[in-house]
Amino acid sequence: MSDATTKPAVPDRLLILSVFVVASCGLAYELIAGALSSYLLGDSVLQFSSIIGCYLFAMGVGSHLSKYVDDRDVLARFIDIELLVGLIGGLSATVLFLLFAWMSAPFRTVLYALVFALGVLVGMEIPLVMRVLHNKQARFSELVSRVLTFDYLGALAVSLLFPLVLAPKLGLSRTGFLFGMVNAAVALWTLRHYAADIPNVRARLTRGILVMTFLAGGLVMSEQLTRWAERGLYGDEVIFATTTPYQRLVLTRWKDDTRLHINGNLQFSSRDEHRYHEALVHPALQSMPWARSVLVLGGGDGLAVREILRHANVEHVTLVDLDPAMTGLFTRNSELARLNGGSLRNPRVTVLNADAGQWLDEHADVFDLIVADFPDPSNFGLGKLYSVPIYRLMARHLSDNGALVVQSTSPWFAPRSFWCIDATLREAGFHTHPYHAYVPSFGEWGFNLATRRPGYTPPTAYSIPTRFLDGETTRLMFRFPPDMKPLPVEANHLNNQRLVHYFEQDWGNVVR
Amino acid sequence: MERRSFMKAGLGAGAALALPGCRQLDHLGIPITIHQPGMAAGHALRDGAPLPSTVREIRTGVAILGSGIAGLTAGWRLAKEGVDDFLLVEGPELFGNAAGGRIDSPSGALAYPCGAHYLPLPSLESSAVREILFEQGVIEADPSGERPRFSEAALVHAPDERLFFNGSWHDGLLPTEHVSAAEAVQHRRFLDEVAALTQRRGSDGRRLFCVPRVLSSADPAWRRLDATPFRDWLVASGYTSPSLHTYLDYVCRDEYGAGSAQVSAWAGLHYFAGRGGQAANAPDGALLTWPDGLAPLARGLAARIPAARRMAGQALHVTEDRHGVSILCRDAAGPLLIRARRAICAMPLHVAARIVPHIRDFGFDPAAHLPAQASWLVANFLLDGFPPEPADAPLAWDNVIHGSQGLGWVVATHQLIRAARPAHTVFTAYRALAERTPAEARRWLAGARADELLALAGADLHQAYGKLELWRRTLAVVITVRGHAMATPTPGSLANPGLAALREADGRLLFAHSDLSGYSVFEEAVWWGDRAARQVA
Repeated sequence: MSDATTKPAVPDRLLILSVFVVASCGLAYELIAGALSSYLLGDSVLQFSSIIGCYLFAMGVGSHLSKYVDDRDVLARFIDIELLVGLIGGLSATVLFLLFAWMSAPFRTVLYALVFALGVLVGMEIPLVMRVLHNKQARFSELVSRVLTFDYLGALAVSLLFPLVLAPKLGLSRTGFLFGMVNAAVALWTLRHYAADIPNVRARLTRGILVMTFLAGGLVMSEQLTRWAERGLYGDEVIFATTTPYQRLVLTRWKDDTRLHINGNLQFSSRDEHRYHEALVHPALQSMPWARSVLVLGGGDGLAVREILRHANVEHVTLVDLDPAMTGLFTRNSELARLNGGSLRNPRVTVLNADAGQWLDEHADVFDLIVADFPDPSNFGLGKLYSVPIYRLMARHLSDNGALVVQSTSPWFAPRSFWCIDATLREAGFHTHPYHAYVPSFGEWGFNLATRRPGYTPPTAYSIPTRFLDGETTRLMFRFPPDMKPLPVEANHLNNQRLVHYFEQDWGNVVR
Repeated sequence: MERRSFMKAGLGAGAALALPGCRQLDHLGIPITIHQPGMAAGHALRDGAPLPSTVREIRTGVAILGSGIAGLTAGWRLAKEGVDDFLLVEGPELFGNAAGGRIDSPSGALAYPCGAHYLPLPSLESSAVREILFEQGVIEADPSGERPRFSEAALVHAPDERLFFNGSWHDGLLPTEHVSAAEAVQHRRFLDEVAALTQRRGSDGRRLFCVPRVLSSADPAWRRLDATPFRDWLVASGYTSPSLHTYLDYVCRDEYGAGSAQVSAWAGLHYFAGRGGQAANAPDGALLTWPDGLAPLARGLAARIPAARRMAGQALHVTEDRHGVSILCRDAAGPLLIRARRAICAMPLHVAARIVPHIRDFGFDPAAHLPAQASWLVANFLLDGFPPEPADAPLAWDNVIHGSQGLGWVVATHQLIRAARPAHTVFTAYRALAERTPAEARRWLAGARADELLALAGADLHQAYGKLELWRRTLAVVITVRGHAMATPTPGSLANPGLAALREADGRLLFAHSDLSGYSVFEEAVWWGDRAARQVA
């Protein structure tokens, strides 16, 4: 009790305030790491639990290590640690995001290493502050009570600010930089206030200002950094990105090349999509001058419709695409509507947002041509859209002389898948005419033209303007050189889903 | 859509509230509907509720009592034979064990099963089943041939089944990985043995095991298997592999509602060797299914019975005199007496025993001859999206957890052909209360709270996905409680003289129900319904 009379009852207010700030920053880094990893890796319960666990454990390690700091160096170390925490913590979100964009493999390792390092440093902060205060003769009971009160108050402040204000308004990267700057500010402030007790004030001041400037630069530039990161993911600058209930659509541009990625897979490149869409549409329609009505399944970008509309004999095109966000984007965005020539606004076109499988099942409309431009059969759900029953169903939607064109993956990269689609169409009663075309951004790509009656011959000339197709090109498209010869494969039935297995094996063999 | 706004919209409740015998409550924000079809009506009969006196009276040629598969088949056959003087009294639950339901989800109505959910490829002997399937387009060609061609839409789409074993999901229901070489040898031997039995014939020239069961060989050397519990037979035959035992116990609970220690060896083998149906376009052992289980087949049968020949209501009391059969019924308008020349009693035998007071005169003593009956829960979970699955073992139609008391779950949206995964789905979890005696199970069910039923029915889903994930996705649960779900072929059931007596009935009152076969499957119900109709036509 004799202490009480000799030591001041109230500890230094400034240091107590710094406890509040330091505690806020510490929790902020933990929340940023948890939120970022949940966002990038999913499974938020696992991510948050493991990051909080790792962080708390590291804080324990830091507390333990703090005892090795010499009593005389306590303030100086506290300042050094603040600067280091500010630097690492401030950069953590941006570093992790960039890292995830460019190389995903060491992401978890770096994540936990960063969280651990931050935890150790933050774990040293409070013991050091308490020792500073203790050295400054604060009463111990008062000291512990004040320090921990402000520690927990700081945590409360950030736990509320982070989800409500910081994460939504600033984003994770900038929130990181902001808290890094706050740490650096505490360091600079402490440095100024206790200059007399600290060795090498000038060197520390320089370092502090450097860190502060660097983090401020980061805060300003973080938008740019994020864009770099997405460019790392997609190769080019992202000009539009949206997540719909069905898919993530990302548009990128590099010079005059606009590209659409769906769920990270390239859908088209504006430089060569004309090859794909001319090949998809014209070999069939050129040979059907009597065709009046066309059904397009998938193809919400309107590019296939653009090609179909070149045929004046086609009176009506029905486009059935799942995602209203996709067809809306390609209808309303002027730049994208320029790509498809405004096809989705054309009075000859009806756009329906429905599930193609369900729509075919529930309607009875009959068409002269059906264009099935579905995503590749990479899972069991999509595999059903390439099965015997769905082709039989499509046959019921075709006029007697009608034809069906099916996007059929790559006969070069996925030969078993390609020939399986061919076999499936034949099993469903179609006469098939497989062909392929070289689309630089995709590689060698394949299609199947299926007719209800025999007797199709590829066109030898085109009556509409084309950029890619002519008689000679078309003749070669329907020829398969020896290294792309048909393979003996089974048809795709719903109860075996052979195609999905072929597709897995085929792409498993492609080293990309 | 948030569960809260979903509940506000009252969508989840809509479908279920229309059903009679429903309890509606809420557990941790999830609306749960408990559906106990026929329970109130059945217990009133059991408790000897006084019979109403009648003023209304109608006459008909043939009365069919019950709208399960047996009753529907009888009505379908009569209509097909040109008989127009019959009346089908639907009973307390339309379609019985083949019933299905619909629940509104934010993305549209989804169909789900309330009972049986699949049909194996029918045997050659199941000719009426094949006729029904052909008529409904499920068999596309060659309905009476060795290998008919089946509609692919109805064959279970791949991936058909997976098993959670040793910490991860595997293809198929019998473990092949992570079992010792010795166990694998036993698995092989067992499958070879039952494959050989499928075609084997007894001394009378009949197949040893056949669906319908009544056409199986009477060879006493094989009938002896009826006296032994299946598990004892397995051990005596040198099958000791723990994983094989777990699998076969699952099979028995799934098929008969009781474990391998409760059902007879004859029944255990019959499951594997009895059907032997084949298809031109599917491997042996393929299954047929629909989003709402077997309900589409029941609807197809009902659609061929003129509406005027069907009546909502239930039979309370059946008597015979020299003119015919008198059936005291109750319908929406009150009591009603049906006077029929003949009647087909197409209801479960525990109900028939209450409604037909003179059933002993047929040689059937309920106290001695009533088959043991298993209790089941069929729980439908309406989910917002799909829980995460491992990339190498995607969700299958049938998902089973090795060694669980539950029977896994089937995915009601599995057979849909869609460009995108449905935004909502229904998982149907099955649970036979096989760990208790039938009487104990029914006592427990009578007193169980909704959350207890939910915990029991959802145990497999909890184990697979975690309680939090399941709770987060569940928009509504509909639990169908079937206290007397099915007859169980316990040892001695094959020789049950009471069942044999009812099968032989040829007077004014006939019996038609799968109970006559001692176990509950679609094919047996069709067999007896068809046979009874042919007898009266």
